[in-house]
Amino acid sequence: MKKWVKDLLLGLSLFAVVASAVVIGMVYVNFSSKRIYEDSTTHLAEVYSQVQRSFFSFSERNWALLKGWNDYIAIAGSDTDIADYIYGKTDYWGFSQFYFISKEGSCIAADGNPEDIDLESESYRLFSEKMPVLTGQTLADGQEVTLFAMPVEHADYKGFGYDAVAVSYTNDDLSSSLNVDAFSGKARCFVLHSDGRVLLSTQSGGSVFANYLVYLKAASDISDGDLDEMQKHWENGETGVLQCKIGEDTHCLLYQPVGFQDYVLLSSVPQNVISAGFLSVQKMTTTVLLVIFLLIGITVTVLVLLRSYKLSRRNRTELMYRERMFDVLSNSVDDIFIMIDANNYGVDYISPNTERLLGIPVHEIREDIRVLEKCAVSLSIVIPKDELAEIPLNGSKYRECECMHQVTGERRWYRMTVYHMSIQNVRKYISVMSDRTLEQQMNQKLQEALNAAQSANEAKSNFLSNMSHDIRTPMNAIVGFSVLLEKDADRPDKVREYTRKITASSQHLLSLINDVLDMSKIESGKTSLNVDRFSLPQLLEDISIMIAPQAKAKGQEFLMHVQGTPPEQLLGDKLRLNQILINLLSNAVKYTQDGGKIDFTVTELQSPAQQYAKLRFTVRDNGIGMSEEFQKEVFAPFSREINSVTNKIQGTGLGMAITKNLVDLMGGIISVESEIGKGSTFTVELSFALPEPEEAEEWFRQKITRLLVADDEEEICLDIKELMSDTGVNVSYVTDGESAVREAVDAHNRGEDYHVILLDWKMPGVDGVEAARRIRAEIGASVPILVLTSYDWSEIEDEARKAGINAFMPKPFFASTFWQAIKPLFFEQVSPAASGDEPDGRVMEGLHFLVAEDNELNAEILTEMLEIEGATCELAVNGKIALEMFEKSEPGHFDMILMDVQMPVMNGYEATREIRACSHPEAKTIPIAAMTANTFAEDVRNALDSGMDGHLAKPINMTAVRALVGKLAGGKKSKKTEDGKE
Amino acid sequence: MKALKTAAALILAALTLFTVSGCSGNENSDALTVMGRKSDMEKSYMTAIFRLYESETGNKLRIIEYEDSEYELKASEMFAKGEVPDIFMHFNNADLKRFNAAENFLYLNGESWASDLTDSATAYCEDPDGNLLGLPFWESSISGCYYNKTLLDSLGLKPAATQAEFDVLCETLAEIGYTPICWPADGCTWMYQFGLDPIFADDDELLEKINANEVSYSEIPAVKDMAEWIAGAAKKGWFGQKYAETGWDGIGEQLGSGEAVMTFIWDTWFYTDFQGGKYTVDDFALMPVFMNTCAGGTYEGGNLNMMMVNKNSEKLDEALNFLAFCAFPEHYNAAFKGISTVSCFKGQTTNIQSDMVTEAAASIKAKERVSTAATRIIGYSAEDVAEAFNSLLSGGTDAEGCVKIMDEKRIEEAKSQGIEGFTD
Repeated sequence: MKKWVKDLLLGLSLFAVVASAVVIGMVYVNFSSKRIYEDSTTHLAEVYSQVQRSFFSFSERNWALLKGWNDYIAIAGSDTDIADYIYGKTDYWGFSQFYFISKEGSCIAADGNPEDIDLESESYRLFSEKMPVLTGQTLADGQEVTLFAMPVEHADYKGFGYDAVAVSYTNDDLSSSLNVDAFSGKARCFVLHSDGRVLLSTQSGGSVFANYLVYLKAASDISDGDLDEMQKHWENGETGVLQCKIGEDTHCLLYQPVGFQDYVLLSSVPQNVISAGFLSVQKMTTTVLLVIFLLIGITVTVLVLLRSYKLSRRNRTELMYRERMFDVLSNSVDDIFIMIDANNYGVDYISPNTERLLGIPVHEIREDIRVLEKCAVSLSIVIPKDELAEIPLNGSKYRECECMHQVTGERRWYRMTVYHMSIQNVRKYISVMSDRTLEQQMNQKLQEALNAAQSANEAKSNFLSNMSHDIRTPMNAIVGFSVLLEKDADRPDKVREYTRKITASSQHLLSLINDVLDMSKIESGKTSLNVDRFSLPQLLEDISIMIAPQAKAKGQEFLMHVQGTPPEQLLGDKLRLNQILINLLSNAVKYTQDGGKIDFTVTELQSPAQQYAKLRFTVRDNGIGMSEEFQKEVFAPFSREINSVTNKIQGTGLGMAITKNLVDLMGGIISVESEIGKGSTFTVELSFALPEPEEAEEWFRQKITRLLVADDEEEICLDIKELMSDTGVNVSYVTDGESAVREAVDAHNRGEDYHVILLDWKMPGVDGVEAARRIRAEIGASVPILVLTSYDWSEIEDEARKAGINAFMPKPFFASTFWQAIKPLFFEQVSPAASGDEPDGRVMEGLHFLVAEDNELNAEILTEMLEIEGATCELAVNGKIALEMFEKSEPGHFDMILMDVQMPVMNGYEATREIRACSHPEAKTIPIAAMTANTFAEDVRNALDSGMDGHLAKPINMTAVRALVGKLAGGKKSKKTEDGKE
Repeated sequence: MKALKTAAALILAALTLFTVSGCSGNENSDALTVMGRKSDMEKSYMTAIFRLYESETGNKLRIIEYEDSEYELKASEMFAKGEVPDIFMHFNNADLKRFNAAENFLYLNGESWASDLTDSATAYCEDPDGNLLGLPFWESSISGCYYNKTLLDSLGLKPAATQAEFDVLCETLAEIGYTPICWPADGCTWMYQFGLDPIFADDDELLEKINANEVSYSEIPAVKDMAEWIAGAAKKGWFGQKYAETGWDGIGEQLGSGEAVMTFIWDTWFYTDFQGGKYTVDDFALMPVFMNTCAGGTYEGGNLNMMMVNKNSEKLDEALNFLAFCAFPEHYNAAFKGISTVSCFKGQTTNIQSDMVTEAAASIKAKERVSTAATRIIGYSAEDVAEAFNSLLSGGTDAEGCVKIMDEKRIEEAKSQGIEGFTD
């Protein structure tokens, strides 16, 4: 049933109940009033019938007394006796005067004095008829009296002939005898003539009424006709009751004949006075009924209220639960709910999670919803009133919006739907802001992933395209020159040329494959760091050795700088750091035009902790540079800037990506600044833990206390002085060659030769070599002279040694490098030419190898190469056979084992572990070197972990083989040589 | 009160254009000096008797007159200097005390004309010791309760003869919608004396005590009775609903329309001020005033201006002859011919007397009292008393407080006059 129908029925029911109560009340009041009126008039009639009887009796008595008294007077002796008799009666009966009245109208009192009594003619008529008379008189003094007269036989008294005797009562006295106390003194009682004239009144204080009929005519609402009828009733001696209104009060008039003459006894009593008793009963009854109804009403109301309260409380509780649950629910989600009153646009409800999600306190939103607008990033959050008003009832409207948290700045996305609905006839707008942040973020990520995938796909496509070109190019050279090699096999010069080009192309192809594999490994997350102690000077020297020739080949100037005093010993992955720096420097060489300049700077930075050193490696070139767009992708894999220059440069596009990943792996940062045509600057910042310091080599302090440094860059001189300050070596420096000569000679002449002289190679004027020559000429060969240079000194080495230079030191200067350089000079008789690193060209001669190689071709190549080196070998096609061959061999039979890693039956690692574990006397000592195409550091580490002593990358580079063999099995060669001599 | 009456008389006197030429400013030293208020001297009957005297006797009169507002002051100054006129005109009121009647004026009980004075006139002109202080030669009217007889008859009602009947009458009239008493409280302050007169006129000793500041109103229960009755009457609606806004002009309107049935006033007012309406002067009759201080009611006798003789005057005989001339029936009848006034002389026949007074003659004879409160109570001021009653009727104070205010005002006025017994 609809609500308005319910309301209507409820209203009608209430109206029916109230109307019924009113009708019942009115019927009751009407009925009771009627009964009250009837009862009260009956009561009034009874009361005044009694008054009438009393007055009648009083009158009859007076007349009877008068008759009796007159009888006595008639026979009394003297006037004096009569007077005394009368006075006695006056005192006894209480009348005010006794009169003797003549039929002529004169009158005397008992004392004989005349009295001014003016009787009406009617009285004399009655006298003549021997009828008693009742009449009123106003005396000369204004006093009003009522006269009772009785006609008597004519007689004389004091000479006055009289025909009637009378007594008078003052109206006040008479009124008091007639007064009726039954009506609280509110009743008026009159003795009237039938024409309305008032004979006497019971009114307290006297009567002011002259004619009550006239009064009623003027002052009451009785019509003239009713008055005439009433007067006729009076004249006819009838009794009656009449209700009229006098002034504001309703009076009840009761009239009845007195019983003689035309006198009427009229009583006028206010209705409310008559009915006072009955009314009080009515009032009481009504009150009781009302109280009963009221109590019933209160009881019903209380019951209804209690029920309503219970329902209300239950509803409130449910509502509270729901609100609480909704609050909890809304707190646990990221959707926002707002309810707005459609009439005043006030906020009725807002979910408590709003402050958490938007950073605006809920109470502020309650005060003014427009504060939400502060959160809006793009579209408005608060829909304007006019737009809300356009939403049809039960309709909705939605919009997407982006919000920003007012405290944290976090962005969130919402889909806001506003519903217009009517709740219990009150229109509301309910706004639901559904959180779309995750969805949005996911979409973004998907988009980014898609973009990345597309980019990667594009990059890979490019890579494949490039690789296709890059691989085909060296392969083409290899294939081509191989064909030419076969064709020109009889021409040694051509063979050497083709072989060199095939080798170069093979090396390039190998580097391509290594990069691809390296990147693949990095991307698969299998790359880890091998942290160990390493020497920074050694690292820099290794780098210099590798890069300087490349730069030199392109006529580029390669300079290495050290700023500050970085620690020489660090903990880190030297191989990876080396790889990072070589990548950067190789690129610099690669993308810098011939004759360009490459600066490599190591800067010591402020470290956040004492146990760490923070270094910045900067590679700056003045090469072709990069576009801004490419700078953003330079570290992405397979990315290469496409232009006319780079197209001519071979590369996989993986170098920088590998570098970036390694830097990330080492917890560092890498950045690039570049400008096309002006060059690029790559900066890598890395932190390294510091190892425990090595014990100082005290012997230096005993042998060397004075050092002369000559460098045209004074800053370098100062750096050296600083670096040596903790060693006890006193450093003197000069900034040119001539000064160096002069200082060395002077010292010599003083007998205070410097223990070591360190000369920069390239100084203006007299360079280091020349200065050395002059010094040697002056002071002889007693003082070691070293040349400090950042250049490749191989070209001048012979000349330098001839000039008397004992050793070379690479820049930058490090104390440890210095010690290593001079150590042989003080303890060994090493010729200057013997300081090179090139392994002995015949280091492998006479050695017998066990070669484990499953690939027949590789085994053949290796066998041939070993033979070329003067060595021999036995082949095993897998690790198990190799193990068995070793176990069966006599001690000293094999000088070294070259172990392929990936082999069937038993791989190289397992075979090595078995060999190391076997009972062969040389099981623990025989050198084992891995031969594998797995060239990563992990592979090297795995090889070492399995018990191998070294690692050779495939394809086999004989230089590397010689170096490794020299290192691992050199001793055996010397022994065999000695044995051979022997 | 007296001022109002005087004002009414002035309107009548204005018809008389005569002035006593030669009286004012007459510097004849042989002439008999007669001193009085300027407005009094200009009354037609006064100018008539002066003119008649001079014409009949050939004697001259020197009339000394001052404006009403300065009369008392000027007269006091003259008396203080011993410059007492041969004939001095003054009302027999409290102010007369300042002129020391015993020392300055001749008692006139022995004069031949004294027996011709009406009883009420004699009573007015005597001091408390019965000494006749002067010859009353003045117009007079009776103040009482004038009621609409026609209206009362039409209502089947009759006038009250007692206070109780009066109260019943008021209650009966109020019950049927009439305003029993027209009580113009706004600016009209003349009624209270009617209530006080019976208290003090019937008790000379009490009058002396109040004038000697030996007793106060607060100590006289009847005064409080009066105040309570007035407050009760107002509360019961006997003064109507708009008495507080009703002023002097409203009396005629309410009586003429029949809205109000009775009012406390004097008969001359009906001939000088009452315009009539539905009801005219012929519809009205007179009954006593009832203010709960006298069961039978009271009438206030007229205030009479007396001619007093300077007992120390060199022209004493001539002055007495002048008074005898004035008191001669032929002369006073000539002077008062056509004047509406109650007679001062028994032989006065040419004056006009209203039917209202005539019809109530018996009642007046029985209940008339000499105007006492307004004329003989020292410090009485109708205006000041009005303040007390206005406060009472507005609910600002009760009956007791009202009486207290009356006392305060009276004593304050007496002090201002320097009356012995009131000053510190």
